[in-house]
Amino acid sequence: MLEPLRQYVNDYVALTDKEFSLLASKITVRNFDKHQRLIQPGEVERYMNFVVRGLVRTYFYKGRAEVVTVLAKERDLISASASFLSGEPSNYFIETLEPTTLLSLTRDDLEELYRTSSRIERLGRLLTMQFVLIKEEWDHEYMRLDTRERFVRFVEKNPGLMQRVPQKYLASYLNMKPETFSRLKHLLKKRPLQGR
Amino acid sequence: MSDSIASYKAALEGLHRYLSRYVPLSKQEFGQLLPYIEIREFDKKVKVIDKGEIERYLNVIAWGLVRKYLPVRNREITVQLASEGHIIHSELSFHYRTPSGSVIETIEPTAFFSISYDSLQDLYDHLTKAERMGRLLISDLYVKKDNRYFDQLLQSTRERFLQYVRTHPQMMQRVPQKYIASYLNIKPETFSRLKHLMRPGRR
Repeated sequence: MLEPLRQYVNDYVALTDKEFSLLASKITVRNFDKHQRLIQPGEVERYMNFVVRGLVRTYFYKGRAEVVTVLAKERDLISASASFLSGEPSNYFIETLEPTTLLSLTRDDLEELYRTSSRIERLGRLLTMQFVLIKEEWDHEYMRLDTRERFVRFVEKNPGLMQRVPQKYLASYLNMKPETFSRLKHLLKKRPLQGR
Repeated sequence: MSDSIASYKAALEGLHRYLSRYVPLSKQEFGQLLPYIEIREFDKKVKVIDKGEIERYLNVIAWGLVRKYLPVRNREITVQLASEGHIIHSELSFHYRTPSGSVIETIEPTAFFSISYDSLQDLYDHLTKAERMGRLLISDLYVKKDNRYFDQLLQSTRERFLQYVRTHPQMMQRVPQKYIASYLNIKPETFSRLKHLMRPGRR
Protein backbone atom coordinates (compact mmCIF):
# COMPACT_ATOMS: atom_id res chain seq x y z
CA MET A 1 0.00 0.00 0.00
CA LEU A 2 2.96 2.29 0.60
CA GLU A 3 4.42 1.85 -2.88
CA PRO A 4 2.36 4.60 -4.57
CA LEU A 5 3.43 7.02 -1.82
CA ARG A 6 7.04 6.05 -2.29
CA GLN A 7 6.80 6.78 -6.01
CA TYR A 8 5.05 10.07 -5.35
CA VAL A 9 7.67 11.21 -2.86
CA ASN A 10 10.47 10.15 -5.18
CA ASP A 11 9.46 12.79 -7.70
CA TYR A 12 10.45 15.43 -5.14
CA VAL A 13 13.24 13.92 -3.04
CA ALA A 14 14.82 10.49 -3.50
CA LEU A 15 14.63 9.26 0.10
CA THR A 16 16.82 6.34 1.18
CA ASP A 17 15.08 3.16 2.40
CA LYS A 18 15.89 4.19 5.94
CA GLU A 19 14.43 7.68 5.51
CA PHE A 20 11.30 6.31 3.89
CA SER A 21 10.81 3.73 6.68
CA LEU A 22 11.06 6.54 9.19
CA LEU A 23 8.33 8.40 7.33
CA ALA A 24 6.26 5.22 6.96
CA SER A 25 6.49 4.46 10.68
CA LYS A 26 4.37 7.55 11.42
CA ILE A 27 1.66 6.82 8.87
CA THR A 28 -1.85 5.76 9.81
CA VAL A 29 -4.12 4.04 7.28
CA ARG A 30 -7.64 5.48 7.46
CA ASN A 31 -10.65 4.01 5.64
CA PHE A 32 -13.85 5.91 4.89
CA ASP A 33 -17.20 5.08 3.35
CA LYS A 34 -18.55 7.36 0.66
CA HIS A 35 -20.13 10.64 1.74
CA GLN A 36 -18.20 10.75 4.99
CA ARG A 37 -16.94 14.05 6.29
CA LEU A 38 -13.25 14.37 7.17
CA ILE A 39 -13.35 17.91 8.51
CA GLN A 40 -15.69 20.90 8.69
CA PRO A 41 -15.24 24.66 9.14
CA GLY A 42 -14.15 25.61 12.64
CA GLU A 43 -12.14 22.44 13.20
CA VAL A 44 -8.36 22.50 13.00
CA GLU A 45 -6.91 20.11 10.41
CA ARG A 46 -4.76 17.44 12.08
CA TYR A 47 -3.86 15.39 9.03
CA MET A 48 -2.04 15.55 5.75
CA ASN A 49 -3.44 12.71 3.63
CA PHE A 50 -2.36 10.81 0.57
CA VAL A 51 -5.18 9.15 -1.39
CA VAL A 52 -4.47 5.47 -2.06
CA ARG A 53 -7.95 4.68 -3.30
CA GLY A 54 -11.10 6.72 -3.72
CA LEU A 55 -12.19 10.26 -4.38
CA VAL A 56 -12.51 13.27 -2.10
CA ARG A 57 -13.76 16.83 -2.48
CA THR A 58 -13.11 20.08 -0.61
CA TYR A 59 -15.84 22.73 -0.56
CA PHE A 60 -17.38 25.63 1.32
CA TYR A 61 -20.67 27.49 1.29
CA LYS A 62 -21.11 30.81 -0.43
CA GLY A 63 -24.55 31.77 0.80
CA ARG A 64 -26.48 28.56 0.18
CA ALA A 65 -24.40 27.41 -2.76
CA GLU A 66 -21.60 24.90 -2.38
CA VAL A 67 -18.32 25.91 -3.98
CA VAL A 68 -16.07 22.94 -4.76
CA THR A 69 -12.40 23.92 -4.60
CA VAL A 70 -10.50 20.62 -4.78
CA LEU A 71 -11.15 17.17 -6.26
CA ALA A 72 -8.56 14.65 -5.11
CA LYS A 73 -8.18 11.17 -6.58
CA GLU A 74 -5.63 8.36 -6.26
CA ARG A 75 -2.08 9.65 -5.79
CA ASP A 76 -3.15 13.15 -4.79
CA LEU A 77 -2.57 14.84 -1.46
CA ILE A 78 -5.63 16.13 0.34
CA SER A 79 -5.95 18.23 3.49
CA ALA A 80 -7.42 21.50 4.67
CA SER A 81 -3.89 22.66 3.95
CA ALA A 82 -4.08 26.25 5.20
CA SER A 83 -5.46 25.03 8.52
CA PHE A 84 -2.93 22.21 8.66
CA LEU A 85 -0.06 24.65 8.09
CA SER A 86 -1.27 27.50 10.29
CA GLY A 87 -3.07 25.69 13.08
CA GLU A 88 -6.04 28.02 12.54
CA PRO A 89 -9.58 26.64 12.09
CA SER A 90 -10.44 25.38 8.60
CA ASN A 91 -12.66 27.37 6.25
CA TYR A 92 -13.51 24.22 4.32
CA PHE A 93 -15.41 20.97 4.42
CA ILE A 94 -13.72 17.83 3.15
CA GLU A 95 -15.94 14.89 2.18
CA THR A 96 -15.45 11.54 0.43
CA LEU A 97 -17.32 10.91 -2.82
CA GLU A 98 -16.35 7.21 -3.02
CA PRO A 99 -15.12 4.66 -0.48
CA THR A 100 -11.66 6.01 0.25
CA THR A 101 -8.38 4.86 1.78
CA LEU A 102 -5.96 7.51 3.02
CA LEU A 103 -2.40 7.37 4.29
CA SER A 104 -2.35 10.03 6.99
CA LEU A 105 0.31 11.90 8.93
CA THR A 106 -0.45 14.18 11.86
CA ARG A 107 1.05 17.63 12.12
CA ASP A 108 2.94 16.70 15.30
CA ASP A 109 4.48 13.62 13.73
CA LEU A 110 5.46 15.57 10.65
CA GLU A 111 7.14 18.23 12.79
CA GLU A 112 9.07 15.49 14.55
CA LEU A 113 10.15 14.00 11.22
CA TYR A 114 11.38 17.43 10.11
CA ARG A 115 13.50 17.68 13.24
CA THR A 116 14.98 14.22 12.67
CA SER A 117 15.67 14.36 8.94
CA SER A 118 16.64 17.37 6.86
CA ARG A 119 15.79 15.38 3.70
CA ILE A 120 12.23 14.89 4.89
CA GLU A 121 12.13 18.58 5.75
CA ARG A 122 13.18 19.29 2.18
CA LEU A 123 10.34 17.09 0.97
CA GLY A 124 8.03 19.17 3.16
CA ARG A 125 9.35 22.38 1.70
CA LEU A 126 8.95 21.19 -1.89
CA LEU A 127 5.44 19.87 -1.34
CA THR A 128 4.36 23.08 0.36
CA MET A 129 5.75 25.03 -2.60
CA GLN A 130 3.78 22.71 -4.85
CA PHE A 131 0.60 23.73 -3.00
CA VAL A 132 1.43 27.39 -3.63
CA LEU A 133 2.11 26.80 -7.31
CA ILE A 134 -1.07 24.79 -7.87
CA LYS A 135 -3.09 27.62 -6.33
CA GLU A 136 -1.25 30.20 -8.41
CA GLU A 137 -1.80 28.22 -11.60
CA TRP A 138 -5.48 27.82 -10.78
CA ASP A 139 -5.83 31.58 -10.17
CA HIS A 140 -4.14 32.40 -13.44
CA GLU A 141 -6.20 29.97 -15.47
CA TYR A 142 -9.32 31.28 -13.86
CA MET A 143 -8.46 34.84 -14.91
CA ARG A 144 -7.07 34.02 -18.32
CA LEU A 145 -9.35 31.35 -19.74
CA ASP A 146 -13.01 31.62 -20.65
CA THR A 147 -15.59 29.03 -19.61
CA ARG A 148 -15.09 26.78 -22.61
CA GLU A 149 -11.30 26.86 -22.38
CA ARG A 150 -11.43 25.98 -18.68
CA PHE A 151 -13.71 23.05 -19.44
CA VAL A 152 -11.50 21.70 -22.21
CA ARG A 153 -8.37 22.06 -20.14
CA PHE A 154 -9.91 20.23 -17.21
CA VAL A 155 -11.08 17.31 -19.36
CA GLU A 156 -7.67 17.00 -20.97
CA LYS A 157 -5.92 16.94 -17.62
CA ASN A 158 -8.42 14.69 -15.82
CA PRO A 159 -10.01 12.33 -18.33
CA GLY A 160 -11.07 9.83 -15.64
CA LEU A 161 -12.92 12.28 -13.41
CA MET A 162 -15.75 13.03 -15.85
CA GLN A 163 -17.24 9.59 -15.16
CA ARG A 164 -16.62 9.55 -11.43
CA VAL A 165 -17.61 12.99 -10.17
CA PRO A 166 -21.27 14.08 -10.10
CA GLN A 167 -21.82 16.71 -12.74
CA LYS A 168 -22.97 19.41 -10.29
CA TYR A 169 -19.68 19.17 -8.42
CA LEU A 170 -17.64 19.38 -11.60
CA ALA A 171 -19.65 22.42 -12.69
CA SER A 172 -19.08 24.06 -9.31
CA TYR A 173 -15.37 23.24 -9.40
CA LEU A 174 -15.09 24.90 -12.81
CA ASN A 175 -17.31 27.76 -11.65
CA MET A 176 -19.95 27.36 -14.30
CA LYS A 177 -23.69 26.82 -14.26
CA PRO A 178 -24.75 23.15 -14.50
CA GLU A 179 -26.58 24.00 -17.77
CA THR A 180 -23.39 25.42 -19.28
CA PHE A 181 -21.53 22.31 -18.19
CA SER A 182 -24.08 20.02 -19.89
CA ARG A 183 -23.90 22.04 -23.06
CA LEU A 184 -20.10 21.83 -23.15
CA LYS A 185 -20.25 18.10 -22.52
CA HIS A 186 -22.39 17.61 -25.63
CA LEU A 187 -19.87 19.59 -27.60
CA LEU A 188 -17.23 17.15 -26.43
CA LYS A 189 -19.18 14.14 -27.70
CA LYS A 190 -19.75 15.61 -31.12
CA ARG A 191 -16.26 16.81 -31.78
CA PRO A 192 -13.06 15.36 -30.35
CA LEU A 193 -10.93 17.85 -28.43
CA GLN A 194 -7.93 17.74 -30.72
CA GLY A 195 -9.85 19.76 -33.30
CA ARG A 196 -10.03 22.92 -31.16
CA MET B 1 21.15 58.61 -4.24
CA SER B 2 23.35 60.10 -1.48
CA ASP B 3 21.76 58.29 1.44
CA SER B 4 21.80 55.00 -0.45
CA ILE B 5 24.28 53.19 1.83
CA ALA B 6 22.30 54.06 4.94
CA SER B 7 19.12 53.00 3.15
CA TYR B 8 20.57 49.62 2.22
CA LYS B 9 21.77 49.10 5.76
CA ALA B 10 18.31 49.77 7.13
CA ALA B 11 16.76 47.53 4.46
CA LEU B 12 19.16 44.70 5.30
CA GLU B 13 18.27 44.98 8.97
CA GLY B 14 14.64 44.75 7.92
CA LEU B 15 15.40 41.61 5.93
CA HIS B 16 17.22 40.10 8.91
CA ARG B 17 14.21 40.77 11.17
CA TYR B 18 11.83 39.38 8.54
CA LEU B 19 13.73 36.11 8.12
CA SER B 20 14.21 35.75 11.89
CA ARG B 21 10.45 35.55 12.26
CA TYR B 22 10.72 32.11 10.69
CA VAL B 23 14.05 30.91 12.05
CA PRO B 24 16.16 32.95 14.50
CA LEU B 25 19.39 33.96 12.73
CA SER B 26 22.45 35.39 14.47
CA LYS B 27 24.24 38.31 12.83
CA GLN B 28 26.86 35.85 11.66
CA GLU B 29 24.34 33.43 10.18
CA PHE B 30 22.58 36.28 8.40
CA GLY B 31 25.99 37.31 7.07
CA GLN B 32 26.36 33.87 5.49
CA LEU B 33 23.28 34.56 3.36
CA LEU B 34 24.62 37.77 1.88
CA PRO B 35 26.96 36.31 -0.77
CA TYR B 36 23.92 34.66 -2.37
CA ILE B 37 22.05 37.94 -2.70
CA GLU B 38 22.26 40.47 -5.53
CA ILE B 39 21.11 44.08 -5.32
CA ARG B 40 19.09 45.23 -8.33
CA GLU B 41 17.86 48.80 -8.80
CA PHE B 42 15.12 49.97 -11.16
CA ASP B 43 13.62 53.28 -12.14
CA LYS B 44 9.88 53.80 -11.84
CA LYS B 45 7.57 52.27 -14.45
CA VAL B 46 10.11 49.68 -15.54
CA LYS B 47 9.15 46.13 -16.43
CA VAL B 48 11.29 43.92 -14.21
CA ILE B 49 10.00 40.87 -16.03
CA ASP B 50 7.75 40.74 -19.07
CA LYS B 51 5.31 38.13 -20.27
CA GLY B 52 7.13 35.33 -22.09
CA GLU B 53 10.44 35.79 -20.26
CA ILE B 54 11.74 33.25 -17.78
CA GLU B 55 11.89 34.56 -14.23
CA ARG B 56 15.43 34.26 -12.93
CA TYR B 57 14.97 35.86 -9.53
CA LEU B 58 13.09 35.75 -6.31
CA ASN B 59 13.00 39.34 -5.02
CA VAL B 60 12.52 40.97 -1.65
CA ILE B 61 11.82 44.70 -1.92
CA ALA B 62 14.49 46.79 -0.14
CA TRP B 63 12.59 49.95 -0.97
CA GLY B 64 10.08 51.00 -3.58
CA LEU B 65 6.73 49.85 -4.87
CA VAL B 66 5.94 47.17 -7.42
CA ARG B 67 2.91 45.56 -8.98
CA LYS B 68 2.37 42.23 -10.65
CA TYR B 69 -0.34 41.85 -13.25
CA LEU B 70 -1.74 39.40 -15.75
CA PRO B 71 -2.36 40.74 -19.25
CA VAL B 72 -5.72 39.26 -20.25
CA ARG B 73 -7.11 40.21 -23.64
CA ASN B 74 -7.21 44.02 -23.47
CA ARG B 75 -7.00 44.28 -19.70
CA GLU B 76 -4.38 44.15 -16.99
CA ILE B 77 -5.48 42.30 -13.87
CA THR B 78 -3.40 43.37 -10.88
CA VAL B 79 -2.64 40.33 -8.73
CA GLN B 80 -0.11 41.77 -6.29
CA LEU B 81 0.90 45.16 -4.90
CA ALA B 82 4.13 44.95 -2.95
CA SER B 83 6.22 47.41 -0.97
CA GLU B 84 9.22 47.31 1.38
CA GLY B 85 9.94 43.87 2.85
CA HIS B 86 7.56 41.97 0.58
CA ILE B 87 8.49 39.09 -1.68
CA ILE B 88 7.61 39.42 -5.35
CA HIS B 89 8.44 37.22 -8.34
CA SER B 90 6.75 35.38 -11.15
CA GLU B 91 6.37 32.19 -9.12
CA LEU B 92 5.29 29.70 -11.76
CA SER B 93 8.00 30.82 -14.16
CA PHE B 94 10.68 30.84 -11.46
CA HIS B 95 9.92 27.36 -10.14
CA TYR B 96 8.89 25.53 -13.32
CA ARG B 97 11.42 27.37 -15.50
CA THR B 98 8.72 28.23 -18.04
CA PRO B 99 7.85 31.55 -19.77
CA SER B 100 6.11 33.97 -17.42
CA GLY B 101 2.40 34.62 -17.88
CA SER B 102 2.55 37.68 -15.66
CA VAL B 103 4.34 41.02 -15.79
CA ILE B 104 6.12 42.68 -12.87
CA GLU B 105 6.48 46.46 -13.14
CA THR B 106 7.81 49.10 -10.74
CA ILE B 107 5.51 51.94 -9.69
CA GLU B 108 8.23 53.88 -7.82
CA PRO B 109 12.03 53.69 -8.12
CA THR B 110 12.77 50.33 -6.53
CA ALA B 111 15.66 48.28 -5.14
CA PHE B 112 15.49 44.51 -4.77
CA PHE B 113 17.44 42.02 -2.78
CA SER B 114 17.36 39.22 -5.36
CA ILE B 115 18.39 35.62 -5.29
CA SER B 116 18.71 33.69 -8.54
CA TYR B 117 17.21 30.24 -9.03
CA ASP B 118 20.62 28.56 -8.99
CA SER B 119 21.83 30.48 -5.94
CA LEU B 120 18.70 29.51 -4.09
CA GLN B 121 19.28 25.80 -4.75
CA ASP B 122 22.88 26.32 -3.64
CA LEU B 123 21.72 28.03 -0.48
CA TYR B 124 19.40 25.14 0.38
CA ASP B 125 22.28 22.69 -0.10
CA HIS B 126 24.82 24.58 1.96
CA LEU B 127 23.05 26.41 4.75
CA THR B 128 21.54 24.14 7.39
CA LYS B 129 18.86 26.53 8.53
CA ALA B 130 17.76 27.47 5.00
CA GLU B 131 15.59 24.40 4.55
CA ARG B 132 13.45 25.19 7.58
CA MET B 133 13.35 28.90 6.86
CA GLY B 134 12.24 28.21 3.29
CA ARG B 135 9.59 25.74 4.38
CA LEU B 136 8.07 28.06 6.97
CA LEU B 137 8.18 31.06 4.67
CA ILE B 138 6.47 29.15 1.87
CA SER B 139 3.93 27.79 4.31
CA ASP B 140 3.09 31.35 5.37
CA LEU B 141 2.81 32.34 1.71
CA TYR B 142 0.29 29.56 1.14
CA VAL B 143 -1.84 30.50 4.13
CA LYS B 144 -1.93 34.16 3.02
CA LYS B 145 -2.87 33.15 -0.51
CA ASP B 146 -5.67 30.95 0.75
CA ASN B 147 -7.02 33.71 3.00
CA ARG B 148 -6.99 36.20 0.15
CA TYR B 149 -8.79 33.74 -2.10
CA PHE B 150 -11.41 33.17 0.56
CA ASP B 151 -11.89 36.88 1.29
CA GLN B 152 -12.21 37.72 -2.41
CA LEU B 153 -14.96 35.15 -2.76
CA LEU B 154 -16.94 35.75 0.38
CA GLN B 155 -16.59 39.45 1.23
CA SER B 156 -18.73 42.12 -0.34
CA THR B 157 -17.09 44.88 -2.39
CA ARG B 158 -17.48 47.27 0.53
CA GLU B 159 -15.92 44.80 3.00
CA ARG B 160 -12.98 44.12 0.70
CA PHE B 161 -12.39 47.84 0.30
CA LEU B 162 -12.60 48.63 4.01
CA GLN B 163 -10.37 45.74 5.01
CA TYR B 164 -7.71 46.77 2.52
CA VAL B 165 -7.78 50.40 3.63
CA ARG B 166 -7.52 49.39 7.26
CA THR B 167 -4.62 47.03 6.73
CA HIS B 168 -2.74 49.05 4.05
CA PRO B 169 -3.28 52.77 4.85
CA GLN B 170 0.03 53.82 3.25
CA MET B 171 -0.78 52.05 -0.04
CA MET B 172 -3.79 54.30 -0.59
CA GLN B 173 -1.39 57.27 -0.82
CA ARG B 174 1.24 55.58 -2.96
CA VAL B 175 -0.57 53.35 -5.43
CA PRO B 176 -2.62 54.72 -8.36
CA GLN B 177 -6.27 54.11 -7.62
CA LYS B 178 -6.91 52.03 -10.73
CA TYR B 179 -4.35 49.43 -9.64
CA ILE B 180 -5.87 49.03 -6.18
CA ALA B 181 -9.33 48.80 -7.73
CA SER B 182 -8.13 46.06 -10.07
CA TYR B 183 -6.38 44.22 -7.22
CA LEU B 184 -9.59 44.25 -5.16
CA ASN B 185 -11.68 43.39 -8.21
CA ILE B 186 -13.76 46.54 -7.83
CA LYS B 187 -14.88 48.77 -10.72
CA PRO B 188 -13.02 52.12 -10.73
CA GLU B 189 -16.32 54.04 -10.41
CA THR B 190 -17.35 51.98 -7.40
CA PHE B 191 -13.90 52.44 -5.91
CA SER B 192 -14.22 56.25 -6.12
CA ARG B 193 -17.57 56.09 -4.43
CA LEU B 194 -16.21 53.89 -1.63
CA LYS B 195 -13.37 56.32 -0.98
CA HIS B 196 -15.88 58.64 0.68
CA LEU B 197 -16.16 56.05 3.42
CA MET B 198 -12.61 56.87 4.41
CA ARG B 199 -13.29 60.46 5.43
CA PRO B 200 -13.13 61.04 9.20
CA GLY B 201 -16.42 60.63 10.96
CA ARG B 202 -17.90 58.50 8.20
CA ARG B 203 -18.46 54.78 8.41
